[in-house]
Amino acid sequence: MSDPALGLLMLCLIVVVIMMGFPTAFTLMGLGMMFGFKAFYDPSHSFADNKVFDLMVQRTYGAMTNDVLISIPLFVLMGYVMERGALVDKMFYSIQLAFRKVSASLAVATLIVCTFWGIASGLVGAVVVLMGVIAFNPMLKAGYDVKLAAGVITAGGTLGILIPPSVMIIVYAAVAGQSVVKLYASAMFPGFFLSFLYLIYIVGWAMINPKIAPALSEAQTRVPVPDWLTRFQSLYSRNVLVGLGKALISPGKALALPAEKGNVTYGMIVVNFIAALVPFMIVAGTLALTWWYVVIHQQKGPEEVFQGVQQLGQPVAAGPSAPVDDGPPVAFFWWFGGIAIVCLLWQFRYYARITIDRLQVIKLLSTSIMPLGILTVVVLAVILFGITTATESAGVGAAGAFLLALQARTLDWKRTKEAVFLTAKTTAMVCWLFVGSALFSGVFAILGGQALVEQWVLSLNMSPIQFMILSQAIIFVLGWPLEWTEIIVIFVPIFLPLLKHFNIDPILWGTLVFVNLQAAFLSPPVAMSAFYLKGVAPKHVTLNQIFNGMMPYMIIVIICMVIMYLWPGLTLWLPNYLYGN
Amino acid sequence: MNVQKFLHTIDGISTWVGKAAAWLIMALMFVVCIEVFKRYILNAPTAWIFDLDNMLYGTLFMMCGAYTLAQNAHVRGDFLYSSMKPRTQAFLDLVLYIVFFIPGIAALIYAGWSYAADSWRILEHSTVTANGPPVYHFKTVIPIAGCMVILQGIAEIVRAAVCLKTGEWPSRLHDVAEIDVIEEQLAHSEYVDEESRKIAIERAKEIDEVARQRGMGGELNQ
Repeated sequence: MSDPALGLLMLCLIVVVIMMGFPTAFTLMGLGMMFGFKAFYDPSHSFADNKVFDLMVQRTYGAMTNDVLISIPLFVLMGYVMERGALVDKMFYSIQLAFRKVSASLAVATLIVCTFWGIASGLVGAVVVLMGVIAFNPMLKAGYDVKLAAGVITAGGTLGILIPPSVMIIVYAAVAGQSVVKLYASAMFPGFFLSFLYLIYIVGWAMINPKIAPALSEAQTRVPVPDWLTRFQSLYSRNVLVGLGKALISPGKALALPAEKGNVTYGMIVVNFIAALVPFMIVAGTLALTWWYVVIHQQKGPEEVFQGVQQLGQPVAAGPSAPVDDGPPVAFFWWFGGIAIVCLLWQFRYYARITIDRLQVIKLLSTSIMPLGILTVVVLAVILFGITTATESAGVGAAGAFLLALQARTLDWKRTKEAVFLTAKTTAMVCWLFVGSALFSGVFAILGGQALVEQWVLSLNMSPIQFMILSQAIIFVLGWPLEWTEIIVIFVPIFLPLLKHFNIDPILWGTLVFVNLQAAFLSPPVAMSAFYLKGVAPKHVTLNQIFNGMMPYMIIVIICMVIMYLWPGLTLWLPNYLYGN
Repeated sequence: MNVQKFLHTIDGISTWVGKAAAWLIMALMFVVCIEVFKRYILNAPTAWIFDLDNMLYGTLFMMCGAYTLAQNAHVRGDFLYSSMKPRTQAFLDLVLYIVFFIPGIAALIYAGWSYAADSWRILEHSTVTANGPPVYHFKTVIPIAGCMVILQGIAEIVRAAVCLKTGEWPSRLHDVAEIDVIEEQLAHSEYVDEESRKIAIERAKEIDEVARQRGMGGELNQ
């Protein structure tokens, strides 16, 4: 048998053996070793000198010193700690109150919690079961359509594998030799865009047909306001912000009010006043950060270079000819100004109508979501703005997750141990798979299997669009029986060398693969999340109802892919803006 | 010594070593954080930190290979597998362990041994920086991890043989699983009613299993 044919045999065998359910990492190693032995076989050498052994150990050591994979254990640890530290039911409750006036508020809250959760952790099963318990039954009790309720949980639950910082993206970066930060930046758009599209779909459907998501009863939407705040409101002002401001100056009347324990203290007024200002601080902070990054940070760059040159003691070379950035385009200022004015008006309207209900919701939100939100925003911002490397951000993020969990008093010794051991298992699983596949793909290339596949694909004379559709279709089908680890580590490398020929950006293609796997994980009848939901759903909910609920979301994912393909700029704008080409 | 005890002893060794190595993640986290502080705040980066990070991470995942195998946590295409009868599973496993696993890992040990031996012979140092730290002990991790994995692999083969005989998989040591988070989250929930909480916590494992089989192992009995 010729070598390339052996390569193809190897590829077929791997599919067969994976289907037999043997641990994939060892299948890859065993197959790679055997076929490699044959490929390197040289009768003049003793069998112990076969070069496949060198290849094997080099590839293993390569995985052990891989500077991309090293961030996996850190991100995984961060996820496990957050998952055990943040209280998802509290999050759901406060978000649901915040959106109590929006139609289908329970479904909207579910989706938002899933998105948040997706940032923290990438486990599909756990989030679907959790939301199944926390949100599914309340939705059914409130009279929501079964399909709507089932769809939003299953679709939201699978978002976790896509939204950065996700392990899947790191593994793809290691396989494709792309930068992790660029991939994170490009996955930001589809991740949140998809979640946004789901949101539009839910709210839109509920507005057209209010029967599928009846409004909640008065009791369910009542905000639990402490007694003293109600009296406080009648004493000072209906507008809580004004009232608190007045109370800060003349606290006499407020301090006489009875609270749960003793009287109201001045500290309580200060805390509530600060809480009332949280939305303003978030808006102002975001605007200031954008301004800093676009206007100030960009201009600092050339100056620093200039000074560096001078310090080296080369006064001759360091002339005024140092390149000076012209700053951001004029359009930026228009946009920024416009958005700032809109935000300001909105804030004005918001604060003009602020009541104790709103204040209470803000307080609930800031205790349940803010810690998790701040940590993820910091980790992502630090990576995306290129302040530290992905590994360093992951390390700091993991430490931050520990601090948050300690602060929320949800972390104890048992949970720490669990998080550490789970991290070890997940890391070992991914990295051993990587060791196996590194050997496997090396041998596959040496045998000429890769070249054969390439020749065959090139001989089909496909246009880039056809190739794109074909490759994504293959990955979609593979996503039914396989886990993302196997797809990214074994099958994606076969397509990667072909991308260059078709002039397809590996970053765009990779991002499409991530979104594609979402669709694959939502496709009946193999979608795992449906079975997770079925496990916790009441008896009368059938699997078919869940599948029917998932279908529209699968179509939305595909629409999202089409949009991403038609306007690649949407996906690639952020990485190009942040890191140039 | 009875077979079950033998299996649990080997599982215990792998698990103990794996759990010990698992704590390297905390070391890695601290090292990274300290280095971030030194590099970005004190402006005093350390040259050998890159090597140290790699060593911590590389040792971590290599030494946890056997632990992961002992907990059956290596990813497997369990789409068809998990809907088979235990005897069929055991038969497939037994054959595939002997055909793929043993040669693959034996080759890894053999190759890792000579690789590490070469490194010890020249007392190799890292070449990432000019005056890098020694790496020969790090390379020694490869054959050691290989030995651990093959030991656990032998236990798995015995396991499959036992299952082939009795038609039932021998038990594994209990360990934390991903789905346990359900219990952690719901145990103290204030907003979910008592009954559905209890049901979900009790059935979490079962739900996880059925979902992995995509319902092919039979419907959930409710």
